[in-house]
Amino acid sequence: MSERALAIWLLLPAGLLLGFVALYPVVRLIYTSFFQFQLTLGPEGSFIGLANYAAAFEDPRFWNALKNTVLIVLITVPGALLVGLLLALLANLPFRVKWPVRLGLLLPWALPLVFVGLIFQWFFDSQYGVVNDWIMRLGGERQFWLFKPDLAFIAICFTIIWKTSSFVALILLAGLQTIPKELYEAAQVDGASRWQSFWRITLPLLTPAILVAMIFRTITAFQTFDIPYAMTKGGPGNATETLAMYVRVTSIENLNFGYGSALAVLLFLLSMVITVIYLRYIRGADD
Amino acid sequence: MKKLFWLLVAVLVMSTALAQQTRLRVFVGGQQRPDVMRKIFDLYQSRNPGVRVDVEVGGATSDQQQQYLTTVLASRDPSIDVILIDVIRPAQYAAAKWADTLDKYLPSATRQALLQQYLPAYAKANVIGGNLVALPSFADAQFLYYRKDLLEKYGLKPPVTWDEAIKQAQTILAGERNPNLNGIGFMGNISEGTVCSFLLPIWAAGGDVDEGGKLVLTEAQARASLQFWLDLMDKHKVAPPNMAEKAQDTIRQEMQAGRWIFGTLFAYAWNRFQNDADSQVKGKIGVVPLPRFEGGRSASCLGGWQWTISDFSKNKAQAYKLVRFLSSPEVSKILAIDASNLPVFPSLYRDADVLKANPWFADALPVVQAARARPVHPRYPEVADVMRKALNAVLARIKTPDAAAKEVIDGLRAIYR
Amino acid sequence: MKINNPRIWLWLAAAIVVLNGFFPALWIFMTSIKGEAELTRIPITYWPENPTLQNYVQAFREQPLARYFLNSLVVAGFSTLLCVGVASLAAYALARLHVPRRNLILSLLVGVSMFPVASLMVPLYQIFVELGLRNTYLALILPHAALSLPVATLTLVSFFAGIPRDLESAAMVDGSTRLGALWHVVVPLAAPGVFTAAILAFVNSWDEFLLASTLLPAKAMRTLPVGIQLYQGEYVFPWPLISAALVVALVPVALVIAVFQERVVGGLTQGGVKG
Repeated sequence: MSERALAIWLLLPAGLLLGFVALYPVVRLIYTSFFQFQLTLGPEGSFIGLANYAAAFEDPRFWNALKNTVLIVLITVPGALLVGLLLALLANLPFRVKWPVRLGLLLPWALPLVFVGLIFQWFFDSQYGVVNDWIMRLGGERQFWLFKPDLAFIAICFTIIWKTSSFVALILLAGLQTIPKELYEAAQVDGASRWQSFWRITLPLLTPAILVAMIFRTITAFQTFDIPYAMTKGGPGNATETLAMYVRVTSIENLNFGYGSALAVLLFLLSMVITVIYLRYIRGADD
Repeated sequence: MKKLFWLLVAVLVMSTALAQQTRLRVFVGGQQRPDVMRKIFDLYQSRNPGVRVDVEVGGATSDQQQQYLTTVLASRDPSIDVILIDVIRPAQYAAAKWADTLDKYLPSATRQALLQQYLPAYAKANVIGGNLVALPSFADAQFLYYRKDLLEKYGLKPPVTWDEAIKQAQTILAGERNPNLNGIGFMGNISEGTVCSFLLPIWAAGGDVDEGGKLVLTEAQARASLQFWLDLMDKHKVAPPNMAEKAQDTIRQEMQAGRWIFGTLFAYAWNRFQNDADSQVKGKIGVVPLPRFEGGRSASCLGGWQWTISDFSKNKAQAYKLVRFLSSPEVSKILAIDASNLPVFPSLYRDADVLKANPWFADALPVVQAARARPVHPRYPEVADVMRKALNAVLARIKTPDAAAKEVIDGLRAIYR
Repeated sequence: MKINNPRIWLWLAAAIVVLNGFFPALWIFMTSIKGEAELTRIPITYWPENPTLQNYVQAFREQPLARYFLNSLVVAGFSTLLCVGVASLAAYALARLHVPRRNLILSLLVGVSMFPVASLMVPLYQIFVELGLRNTYLALILPHAALSLPVATLTLVSFFAGIPRDLESAAMVDGSTRLGALWHVVVPLAAPGVFTAAILAFVNSWDEFLLASTLLPAKAMRTLPVGIQLYQGEYVFPWPLISAALVVALVPVALVIAVFQERVVGGLTQGGVKG
């Protein structure tokens, strides 16, 4: 079998699985986005070309949700990567019994998103929350975390970073484990400091794993829904509404499937542009 | 050969028997006591041997059910015949042609007579553009819960107007000097309950949002409502400064711990106050209709659940018979006794069996009779979003009542057009 | 990173990781042994005043939690197997072989996960209704496997690409076929990667709500996230009860994963590096 034929056979199951589950829904979504299709106006749709997209560009709520989404991406992706890297490095230290630390790494990721949102809503509650309790014990002032726009945004980003740094750490820890210990020993013999080892050995060898974590962290950050939905419902006003929340409200609550589909396609295009840039750096046989 | 013949006959008989049996699939929410519902369906099956009713239990909140039902109905899936929907949904179901109209089975004279038996607000909520799209299952409404013991201690009678309620709360708060005691609790977070909060002062002053499908709410009325709730916190000091994050159930829990004098809550709170083991207010809570303003009228926010027939059902005639049974006084009584659901028939509020199970229903009747439907509009979710976000933003103090009122009117105009 | 580090730093590191990860979970556990009235105390309480196991009893009485657990196990288990199996093959091709239009394939692969699942629900539902698969495990196993396929594949690509080619060539010289080399040499070396991909897929499936609630709505088929939300009412969110259910749903699984990772995967990696 030629290498090319083998490659095709190996990729085929993945193609079949994704094709079966996603092909029709994605095609339908894109198709629907060209229709005026709002069930509250009646069960039938009519073709309107790009009008839904044009409407989005004039919709202040869309721009507001876009701004919030991009901000969440810009804050929580680097945030989760840094915290995740730190956690992975800490967890990779030579503990005799590893599972408690591993469990600590795993638990945030294992807790379902919706409940993470609700638990942190409680933590940030101005009256019954742990956060204000600590602030006030330390002599600080009571803060209204969930209904002051800036504070709500901070609370949401904090929660997202907490939840997703666990995902990053899991991927990076696996990467760290494959770095042969001999490399560090050799570096130490050469008189390299710990810091130098980190920059010269750990980081370069970890780059592929970091890239993978970054790509998926970015994609999921663009899809941010559950945590702000549970914590603030997008409020106060629409101050913390993300694009994914606007898509869901438009389609599921307001039954405006045409416009909702167009918003979903715009969200897709946005994350695609960013991801294609990352993908160039994924190593493979061609490089 | 003979054996084969009898086998064939047996198969034939069985298959015709099966063919005669109609299977109806009914969707109810997880919060609607599926066990009691099952009992009701069993009763129907025993009286109609040709019908089998299967229950599908969905998510436990109105929002989660909307998520699921939107998917099922937008797919035109015929698997569900009868659906229990929130009182805010019939207009949407009618516009999307998801609900079969019941008029084709009901002569108009009968329809009039039928609708007159129910609490008055349900006729408005379920008749969309002249078509009857759903029939009520059980009622719900907002009540003014008050601390009987505290009001008696200060020699006060339950308030009739909001001004009285505010003064009473101030008197009691000043007298009790308890830093954890609060005055008037209301919903202010982004939720359906906050829509009701926004509407209450408007109704209590004699106004409304729409009339005959036309927007009639004025900016001044909207501003007055927003200002009213804000004043409870800032001016009258009868509510704490974090009402923008308070969910209905937080207020219920606090009131249950003895920390509110008044609370505007839905009917579910009563049983929790009276029956929960940890309740600090057993026997100390009374209910009255919501206060009005001078010259206005008392009004409550109507809740409750409605039976509708899916337009994609393949057994509509049978489904209609089932819906008539489900929305009958007999079933309303079962729901009242076994599930403590408020009846949709005024007569049942005086029924001895019902009152034996729920003595407080006697006090509830004037409230549910004065209950009013939230705006009946196919785009209700958008209407609600405009109103609750405005009130929430004012309570969060990120918008002034002036600015928020203008946004409400602009937002509603765009929807009503 | 030598063993003769001052122990105190090691303990501090452990404390940071454990505290960060455990705090909300611990909070949930504490809540699960509290009564509801304690949640609105001023000032707030950390330790339960009257610890009780009543919430656990009630959680099992109100809903068939064990059944939900079993359903989740079936769905998450099989979708993980399917996902990691399919992803390993694809990742090997993408990392090791000359694949034409590799970047396009990678983009298509990750592109699928860039649509909000909520906006794909109606057509997805239609597919499974048409095939008569609604309310069967397969209706959830397939989408869950597909959902995690991009992240699993890319994780594995990065791991396969990091394994020295010489090892693989040596195995092939020994007479193994290419696929034989994949299973005997590459997979054990990539064990932490494979296991990480499996954890990601498993947890994704274990926690997924939207698809599960739409494609498996029947009572006997409900998965844990769908079942747990049923403790709610229209207006009430009984934290103590829901916390108890969450503890039952999460702790055993997380513990098994963590111990398995240390014992089995650690062993595999060690063996791989030495061999």
